[in-house]
Amino acid sequence: MNVDFEYRGPFSDKRRQLMRALTAGGLTGLAGGWASRSLAGNAVTLPFENGMRELTSSFPQKGEMLLLRSRPPLLETPFSVFDKGVFTPNDRFYVRWHLSSIPSQIDAATFRLAIRGLVGRELNLSLADVVNGFPRVEVAAVNQCAGNSRGFFKPRVVGGEWGNGAMGNAVWTGVRLKDILDRAGVKAGAVQVRYKGLDEGPISATPHFIKSLDIDHARDGEVVLAYGMIGQPLPLLNGFPLRLVVPGWYATYWLKMVNDIEVIGQPDDNFWMAKAYLIPDTPHANVEPGQTGFKTVPINKMVPRSFFTNVSDGSVLPASQAFTVRGIAFGGDAGVKQVLFSSDGGAYWAPARLEKDYGKYSFRRWDARFTPRSAGPLVLKVKAVNDNGVAQPDTPNWNGGGYMRNVVESASVIVA
Amino acid sequence: MKTSVAVLLICVAGASLPAAAGPDKLGSAVSRSQNVHMPEGALNFPRGEGSDLANAQCVICHSVGMVTRQPPLSFDEWKAEVTKMRAVYGAPLSADQIEPIARYLTAINGKP
Repeated sequence: MNVDFEYRGPFSDKRRQLMRALTAGGLTGLAGGWASRSLAGNAVTLPFENGMRELTSSFPQKGEMLLLRSRPPLLETPFSVFDKGVFTPNDRFYVRWHLSSIPSQIDAATFRLAIRGLVGRELNLSLADVVNGFPRVEVAAVNQCAGNSRGFFKPRVVGGEWGNGAMGNAVWTGVRLKDILDRAGVKAGAVQVRYKGLDEGPISATPHFIKSLDIDHARDGEVVLAYGMIGQPLPLLNGFPLRLVVPGWYATYWLKMVNDIEVIGQPDDNFWMAKAYLIPDTPHANVEPGQTGFKTVPINKMVPRSFFTNVSDGSVLPASQAFTVRGIAFGGDAGVKQVLFSSDGGAYWAPARLEKDYGKYSFRRWDARFTPRSAGPLVLKVKAVNDNGVAQPDTPNWNGGGYMRNVVESASVIVA
Repeated sequence: MKTSVAVLLICVAGASLPAAAGPDKLGSAVSRSQNVHMPEGALNFPRGEGSDLANAQCVICHSVGMVTRQPPLSFDEWKAEVTKMRAVYGAPLSADQIEPIARYLTAINGKP
């Protein structure tokens, strides 16, 4: 990774004035309203072109976040947050909306959730019905955007230009989707469960954001309709009052503000399932830039990842002194079996120590102690292996959607 | 619907989890309405030839930052993006507005 860029890791908490970042980012000339609006603020620069991100605290129920887009909101979690604990605080949890007509007001008394379609009896549930009418379950699970880390794709691809912070880990409290579907009584011939939230496009021609799961997945007992996030109601921007939690699967399926669940008898052909969020049906969803003619499938299960949280490119470590490097890992659709750490650029790998296990879908904190011997540059690497034996690849994948990046992470540090 | 006061706590993943807030506490918190204010973000593109068109069209659906934070794109790539906005998301553009907008976007965030 290029050390010319100033990535704001936990060791470098001071902030850079936006004007400097603006100049460094090459955005000169044509200085318009969008730039002058934010001159008073602070910014970080992610290590890719046009990676300058204003730090904003102006979104409701949110602390300081990296601003990727105001409307509809794309807010990235500053990476230093992941060093502070295994769970991501609700007010720092990343935010991703597709469509800009998002209700800013939810009346808890009149909100209704409809369950309809191929069911014995249609349900129209109040929030109280959902909260009090079914067994309450909890699951610790990572929610990660399909395009997390898209900004690191080379060559670059269009989309939400995230660094690594479009992910978070929470304990989700709610009810099993299975229990709700059982109450309604799924009829023979059911193929998928299609669900929709309260958000809409500003023009009627924009397709509603709708997603679907196969009926067996929807009824596997793991998919949860959540009303709680670390013991609190969900922030509105994270989907209050109800959000679907699909452990082990990418966040595109974790629909927010869910108010409509429909059991359908044929595979869903709506835009967001049939045309968007498709990946190449190849190992690691990898293709060559420019390649065509490959089969595509809807994105689905997550793959393992691991990160450093207390070092980043440019961190300085003292020579001949023991140092504990630490971070987070997750296994994707399975638990973390092992985290491997290398202090010599990947030649030798040793198992890191794993901290407490909060369940197979959760972040797992790890640490490893080592002593850098000689002064000079050093490349640290970290690699997770999940319980299915799947390891992070040594080379990055590429696809036109910018999906499913999970290459082994590196930190180019200086020993001095 | 029958409501049960005693709420069953079941751990889906099978691992021990931190204690949640008491059932009544979370349940009653969820029953409170939410009403927030959302910032709308920048609605004006940098001034230049074609910016009026971008101001009239692009910001119907998204704020300016979505465009300026993309990697620099060629004219053909921007044209493909504008075409997608029209064909897929229903942007109310006429066909002859696609190229002027793409030229403008190439001017503010382009590459050869």
